[in-house]
Amino acid sequence: MSLNYIVAMLLIALGLYCLLLKRNLIKIVIGLGVMTDGIHLFLISMGYREGGIAAIVTGEMLENAAGFASAAVDPIPQALVLTSIVINICIVALALSMAIWVYHHYGTLDPSEIRRLRE
Amino acid sequence: MIEIAPIMAVFLPLFGAFLIPIISMVSKRFHAERACNWFTVAILITTLAVVAAMGAAVWGGGIMVYKLGGWSPPWGIVLAVDGLNLLIALIVAGVSSLVAIYSLVYMRQETRLDLYCVLLLLVTAGAMGITLTGDIFNLYVFFEIMSIGSYALVAFRRKWDSVEAGIKYMIIGSFGTSLILLGIALLYGMIGSLTIADLAQKLGQVAASDVVVPLALLISGFGIKIAMVPLHAWAPDAYQAAPSSISALLAGATTTAGLYAMIRVVYMMFGAFGVGTMFAIFGLVTMVLGALMALTQRDLKRLLAYSGISQMGYVLLGVGLGTALGVQGGLFHLLNNAIFKVLLFMCAGAILYRVGTTNLDELGGLGKNMPITAGLFVIGALAISGVPPLNGFASKWTIYIAGIEAGKAVFSLIAIIMSVLTLAYFLKAINAIFLGQRPKRLQNVKEAPLTMLFPMMLLAVLCIVLGVLPSLGIDLVAPAQGALMNQSGYINAVLGGI
Amino acid sequence: MEFGPGFWGPIVATVVMLLGAGFAYLMLLGGRRLTKERPSIAKRSTYGCGEEVKPEEVIADSEQFYSPVRRVFKPFYRYVQPWHSGKLNTYLLWVVIGFIVILVAVALVLR
Repeated sequence: MSLNYIVAMLLIALGLYCLLLKRNLIKIVIGLGVMTDGIHLFLISMGYREGGIAAIVTGEMLENAAGFASAAVDPIPQALVLTSIVINICIVALALSMAIWVYHHYGTLDPSEIRRLRE
Repeated sequence: MIEIAPIMAVFLPLFGAFLIPIISMVSKRFHAERACNWFTVAILITTLAVVAAMGAAVWGGGIMVYKLGGWSPPWGIVLAVDGLNLLIALIVAGVSSLVAIYSLVYMRQETRLDLYCVLLLLVTAGAMGITLTGDIFNLYVFFEIMSIGSYALVAFRRKWDSVEAGIKYMIIGSFGTSLILLGIALLYGMIGSLTIADLAQKLGQVAASDVVVPLALLISGFGIKIAMVPLHAWAPDAYQAAPSSISALLAGATTTAGLYAMIRVVYMMFGAFGVGTMFAIFGLVTMVLGALMALTQRDLKRLLAYSGISQMGYVLLGVGLGTALGVQGGLFHLLNNAIFKVLLFMCAGAILYRVGTTNLDELGGLGKNMPITAGLFVIGALAISGVPPLNGFASKWTIYIAGIEAGKAVFSLIAIIMSVLTLAYFLKAINAIFLGQRPKRLQNVKEAPLTMLFPMMLLAVLCIVLGVLPSLGIDLVAPAQGALMNQSGYINAVLGGI
Repeated sequence: MEFGPGFWGPIVATVVMLLGAGFAYLMLLGGRRLTKERPSIAKRSTYGCGEEVKPEEVIADSEQFYSPVRRVFKPFYRYVQPWHSGKLNTYLLWVVIGFIVILVAVALVLR
């Protein structure tokens, strides 16, 4: 199961690389998205249980509640990740619309050119 | 009625935010364009009344607990209100209502006033949610609501400086909240619970070296919001380019809520009082950098932004000293910072509204044209520099004495020198704006409108009252400090209801 | 009338300060009645090195206002101020460096 964690850390590192070293606002926003995807993957893999079943209660499960509870995957990280994905949509949408306005005023998307407010 | 007060305090601004588009559609039919702003003022004053109603139950040291949906913790989300929450909720609700009253005139010519009111109510709802919740993921969600609302508000005018400041604030702020999410993920993996009281109980049994990475992630994430050095880079641009009422809201409400989240998580959840010295050193660095950068600014709002960063350094120094007097001084300075920073940003907004520029080189001699604004700005400037007998002196005095009593007199010395530099750059600002020669084109500048002066006068009166009777301020802050140090009482009150 | 640690009597101090300020204001008023400010053209051209200087142009440049203080704190202004360059990537690098510093500090404290 540690493959999940390694990939999650790789995604976070790649997102960080994009945030720090890319010279285009759109690429920076994409880097932010990749980094949050890495965090979501990390969060979901933490709730995993070897050979577990999905945490959805159907009719047959109700009779054997204790067995279901010990065999099911943890549902809380999945709920947290769903909330976080929705929040991320808002952030990416707002960031991209602000990037459009920046392009409208400055004519470029390069952060080194967008520095009229300094010191 | 009092039992549902915590959830009502969060629910009222949120529900009001969703009602405003309907109200603005109806009011446009009747040509009453500013009805949504009056509605915002009404909702925020009601929220302030609801928060004040909780005061009686909580100020004696009691803790009010409200379980959402009837699910008890640690399986459900719980809202827990103790003395510290009440102080911060009062500050947030008070600042938001004053900003809403100020916006009645300041944003008068905006055509998108309904969008502004929706975002203002969302930011207030987010800040109230942060201060009243007892669940850490709920805190993260409300933190995001508050942050996203403030990103949109900073870029509200859509001019070149607003969008530049907005995109920078947005990217840095989102990076910060991602760090917070990673910290919460690590904590959940280690402990398996999300309620703050439950985490506090279980973290007491975990070895200290296991929690280093989550603690560092959470401090960094919240530190970006409160503009702690070196995470402060977004603050000068955002305060300069936002509409002045929003700069006041950012300085008063969101920074206060961010600092509350930081001290609740670090002191009560982790119980890590040893981290206090690190906070004090970061506070000193913040203080020094804010004051020295503000000495060379040309723009009034940028100068006020660096000054706000510097004052947060005082709060971190006070809270980081760890002793009862230090924490009281820090929280008192937090209250005072909300009062005089909002006052100063509103004065800057009044000048911008009447003159059209805040560049210190282009202003001059406005003392004859705007005497009331000049007087209020001078009161705010003297208060922030710690000149007796105003409220800044009372809280800074407490922090200095706490530093000396904790054995770290060097910290108090550096804090005193930075107070002197604060007075220096504010005297420069007063001289450049209100005294001296008046350029010919500024001859017909009128005084600011009365509706804009009303919140400013109220804040100036509070400055003077809290300065002449500082025991009033300490009475407000002592329950908060007691609640912060009372970790076991908090855990018992929240979890004991099972 | 004590407040907190040490001795600071706010109400007494306020009254004394107000009395002192009132006294100073009276002295200022008395002084203004005797001599008024009248910068004549001859005086202005002396200060302007022989040129005609309009009164409203005599404003101190706000950035150079505190140049002595800047000279004292020169290391700060040479090293730290250029870092506020306005570039977004630099600011994000600061956040990463800040996180690493906080991580090291917390690790040292919570050993």
